Amino acid sequence: MGNVERCDKTLPTNAMMYQVRKDAVLRARFQTDLEGLARQFGLSREEYEAIRDKDPRRMMDLGVHQYYVPQILRLFFGNAQNSNSSETLDCYKRAYPAETARAMDLQARLEGRRG
Amino acid sequence: MAEIVAAMAMTHSPGLTGWFTRASPDYQQQALTALAEMRHRLEAARPDVVVMFSNDHLLNWPINNVPEYTVGIAETHDGPAEWFDEWLGMEQYRVPGHPALARFLVNEGGRRRLALAWMGDEMQFDDGISVPTHYLNPDARFRLVPVTMNCTVPPIPEPARAYEVGRTLREVIRAYPGAERVAVVATGGLSHEPGGPRYFWVDEEFDRGFLDLLKRGDHEALLRECTLERMEAAGSGGTAELLSWVLVLAMTRGPADVLAYMPAIAWRSGTGMVVWNDLAP
Repeated sequence: MGNVERCDKTLPTNAMMYQVRKDAVLRARFQTDLEGLARQFGLSREEYEAIRDKDPRRMMDLGVHQYYVPQILRLFFGNAQNSNSSETLDCYKRAYPAETARAMDLQARLEGRRG
Repeated sequence: MAEIVAAMAMTHSPGLTGWFTRASPDYQQQALTALAEMRHRLEAARPDVVVMFSNDHLLNWPINNVPEYTVGIAETHDGPAEWFDEWLGMEQYRVPGHPALARFLVNEGGRRRLALAWMGDEMQFDDGISVPTHYLNPDARFRLVPVTMNCTVPPIPEPARAYEVGRTLREVIRAYPGAERVAVVATGGLSHEPGGPRYFWVDEEFDRGFLDLLKRGDHEALLRECTLERMEAAGSGGTAELLSWVLVLAMTRGPADVLAYMPAIAWRSGTGMVVWNDLAP
């Protein structure tokens, strides 16, 4: 089973993110009142805390669709010029150290090969 | 009757516009050369309309109700969607649609037992349609009919299903009562796992194998070897965007030209551009 098939189609976070992405007011509230927003959409305490802690592993273990995880991180870190790249990478390094280290090693080898 | 005059496929990675210069100068040059060649071949085919097959990244449909395919039937298509414009580093664009052809796809598809949902002005566009439009149709000279598929919310269709849908849509397009010249463009892939544990990984071996199968032009071999299971193993939730390539493959015959391939982790996707030389009879 691929990772994407682990998503919980009934999880409140997935319903919330669909709305938040489309709505500037909700996006602002995500930054100023995440706990209230989570309550409004019926998130469990575990969902709220995983988002608050910017933890991709806990989010996906709870069933957050993987597409929404980087978008949640973009809501925290910003959206332009991929300015979130280092902060997002740090979150994935903490959550998935082996997978991310392997990817970084591959990137170094590929770029080295290209010289 | 309408005629299919060109078939091509490309990656729609947001990095191709949003953070293009983060990849090596060599990759940047390869990508720009290949995209210019694609655009040149598209213009040479003189299409009236581009039917673009991409996928919905949970943008247009909530996760509780995801159709397999959706056709954009609006008079004009505006993008990128709010919040995505900044991420993609793109100005707003407007491309004329082709409502008559789009509505025909929906209705004639239904008569042929193919369920196609539709959206009007409310349809939004993220990287899937915006990045290819930026490179292939920047002056909006070609009308656009966007068709999005589901390849990220279970159940994810098998490649054989995408191929079958491609065969049906090939017949539907040709049955359209107009003299339109139609280009079909697939967008998505190659290997990547957006947001998953291997978010920063690409599978070069899988990608090169897939592209070699396209070069061989052996459709049966591709469907046999390139299963959904293998796509998911090469990057879950992203590599299966190649189902749009499989759909367009069904409208072609013979070998494809692979214009470029870059295992571009900086763009967070195996990145490739392909043009088919011959169309299905």
